[in-house]
Amino acid sequence: MQCEDIELFLEQEGLEPLPEAARNHLAECAGCRNYVADLTSIVDVAQKLPTEIAPPERVWVSLRAQLETEGIIRTPLPVAVPAASSSWWHSVQAFFSNRALAAATVGIVIVAGAVFEIARDRATRNTTGSPEIARQITPAPVVTSSSTQQVKPSTPPRSQPPTTFSAPAEFASTAQALDDQEPLATGLIASSNSTIDASLRDNLKKVNEFIADCERHLKEQPQDELTREYLSAAYQQKAELLSAMIERGRSIN
Amino acid sequence: MPTALPSPNKVGTTQSPRSATEADAIRLAQAGDAAAFEQLYQLHSRRVYALCLRMVGNPSDAEDLMQEAFLQLFRKIGTFRGESAFSTWLHRMTVNVVLMRLRKKSLPAASLEETTEPDEETGGPRKDIGAPDLRLSGAVDRVNLERSIDKLPPGYRTVFVLHDVQGFEHNEIAGIMGCSVGNSKSQLHKARTRLRELLQEDLRDQARAERHAAKTQAGLGS
Repeated sequence: MQCEDIELFLEQEGLEPLPEAARNHLAECAGCRNYVADLTSIVDVAQKLPTEIAPPERVWVSLRAQLETEGIIRTPLPVAVPAASSSWWHSVQAFFSNRALAAATVGIVIVAGAVFEIARDRATRNTTGSPEIARQITPAPVVTSSSTQQVKPSTPPRSQPPTTFSAPAEFASTAQALDDQEPLATGLIASSNSTIDASLRDNLKKVNEFIADCERHLKEQPQDELTREYLSAAYQQKAELLSAMIERGRSIN
Repeated sequence: MPTALPSPNKVGTTQSPRSATEADAIRLAQAGDAAAFEQLYQLHSRRVYALCLRMVGNPSDAEDLMQEAFLQLFRKIGTFRGESAFSTWLHRMTVNVVLMRLRKKSLPAASLEETTEPDEETGGPRKDIGAPDLRLSGAVDRVNLERSIDKLPPGYRTVFVLHDVQGFEHNEIAGIMGCSVGNSKSQLHKARTRLRELLQEDLRDQARAERHAAKTQAGLGS
């Protein structure tokens, strides 16, 4: 048997026990011996690689939602409650893994929270939300991530850094989740010079400044419901912006 | 072998009761039972995710691809009649979804018949036989093997991962990839040979880097 025959045997039969003729050749040919030994060690290590890797829980959650939407699942499953201790970060990432889901979820939570707060405090609001404060607050910039158009605020955004003021307690977790995602989102499009990405960055800066304004006002006037509404809308806009940036970043990269 | 399960030492979970529970779950899923879908997903998702992850090397893409594969499977589950193993059917869809994605990303041709077979380009896979001994013995570990697998062309990578990592037999791979058993064997051999070359390149790079570092060190010392 020659070197070419060994090659042919390996191609057709793999590393099955070699026939005697092949073994005799290997005994005399260091090149073929090394070759077979190398392939064997590659296979040995490959067989030690994990064959199972657990996917994140969110994949099933998303898949199940899709199956239900399409009517493929016809008997509903009880909603699983994730373990609170271990997976808050995964939950946040799950929000942002899908732009529509992220925007819708954060939006619904914020709007529901705002409506609840407004309804709860409306009875005691007679002395708050004065027109004077309303005039001081810049309306939330309207940002549409699809077109990246924006309506500029009626007054210029202020220059205080967004981190100067902390979010009100009811928005703390939302603010934290958004802040956690911001470096990822901005990082993904940081190297892009396209006008769309520049516009997204610019809009995010403006929304951040607006959020900082609202937080400062709420710190000074905690009962100001109008500012609270603006802040809630601004968080929603920020969520949409970050989702758009992540989606664009992933498509670019 | 009726199912596409790997050899027992490869997977330590849900082996013997699988066929009975899986058949029940398939019947229930065909009737739209939510728990059955989840059971099928739980039975197979870890292996499918591992396959996707090795094929694309990126968790985010792997999640998308796995979801797409399961979605396609569940959409068509009503047509499953058991001619092939459920696992083979699922893996066939997964491989198709993954290769389709790789093609869309304009990566090198992702068909089983690679257009850039290293042996054709270089005149044979064993070009280094007779050259200074570059034996990999003891130098192959999981990390550098994973890294080299990532560098394989998609067709080779698929066959190698399915056979040498996931433990599928050639007849199963032929069913998954829509090719002949002989073709599967040939592709596997070429994949292994290409991996050997990649690992040897790694070794050479390491040796070069060490020599360079030693030179630099000596230069600084004198």
